[in-house]
Amino acid sequence: MKSFLTVWVLSALLVLTTAESCANPKVQATSYTPADAEVLTHIAYIAEFTLTCSNGATNVNLFADINGAVMPVIRSQDGSKYQVSWTESLKAAKKGDRPIRLYDEEGFAAVKRILERDEDPSSVKPLVQIEINYPGAYTGPWMKSEHLASLMIFLVFYLAYSSKNGLTA
Amino acid sequence: MAVGKKGNFSKEDELMLQDFSKNVSAKSSVLFYGNAFIVSAIPVWLFWRIHAMDMTSSSILFGALTLVSTWLVAFAYRNTKHLLKHKVAAKRESAIAKEMNKKLADDKKISKKEKDERILWKKNEVAEYEATTFSIFYNNALFLAVLVFCSFYLLRGLTPHFNYVASMGAASGLIALLSTASSL
Repeated sequence: MKSFLTVWVLSALLVLTTAESCANPKVQATSYTPADAEVLTHIAYIAEFTLTCSNGATNVNLFADINGAVMPVIRSQDGSKYQVSWTESLKAAKKGDRPIRLYDEEGFAAVKRILERDEDPSSVKPLVQIEINYPGAYTGPWMKSEHLASLMIFLVFYLAYSSKNGLTA
Repeated sequence: MAVGKKGNFSKEDELMLQDFSKNVSAKSSVLFYGNAFIVSAIPVWLFWRIHAMDMTSSSILFGALTLVSTWLVAFAYRNTKHLLKHKVAAKRESAIAKEMNKKLADDKKISKKEKDERILWKKNEVAEYEATTFSIFYNNALFLAVLVFCSFYLLRGLTPHFNYVASMGAASGLIALLSTASSL
């Protein structure tokens, strides 16, 4: 157990120390949000992107600011693609563009320091920013079909009943 | 009661007997049972497609309840029509008399008695037609309203088979029962 822990810590340190910094970053992103939320309680936001650096850096660790919380960005096995994802409850999910600020390690450290001082982290310039657009999701018909059918039938019956009353008056 | 030579009733007596009798003509009977069958068969589609009852295994249940409901709905039609006819006749009397008088005004050969008989006959015909159609309309509306209320809300927790039996029984039974009232 002790040796396993040692190996893990050393590997983490290795990864952190071998991370590179990215110059003139260019990002190509695709995003996904569900279009049909009839059976969903939460909306999932998923953004996949590739990062190209002019200095050829490939091993860039990124951190994403999502709703005020900064967290590491997942990378694919070959390291070429990144993915950011999170969920929000149906009620909390608002339509429109959601900016995701991406920081490298330096930026992440600066954001951490600012957050510790309870200040606004938006003053730290991100390495790059991407956007996920959520156009809204279909949550079912405005009125259920059985309620609509019932309403129509009761209206017809009301018409019949009032006609009958008029006739027998 | 005026009785003719061979014991035949006059037109007035015939109409009066018809008025007080719940019997319907063959044409009305066909109309009633035909409509009753269609209205009783509609819930089969509802329970088959919406409540997902299997058509093959439930065919006997569907058939039996449709027939029972047809009889009860036709019964309700007959009773309601009988009750409505007098009300309709009273309401339409003056308008029919006015129309017939206008129509027969130029005919000098016709006696007053003949005119009155024609007015009475026309009144009976209109009342018969309007009471029949209104009875069908009213009972159909009530049947479907009760059926929808029972199957969609009151009995939604039951299995579809019980839901069908109870909803159809309640709807057709209720309209048959309400139609036996002595007045509307």
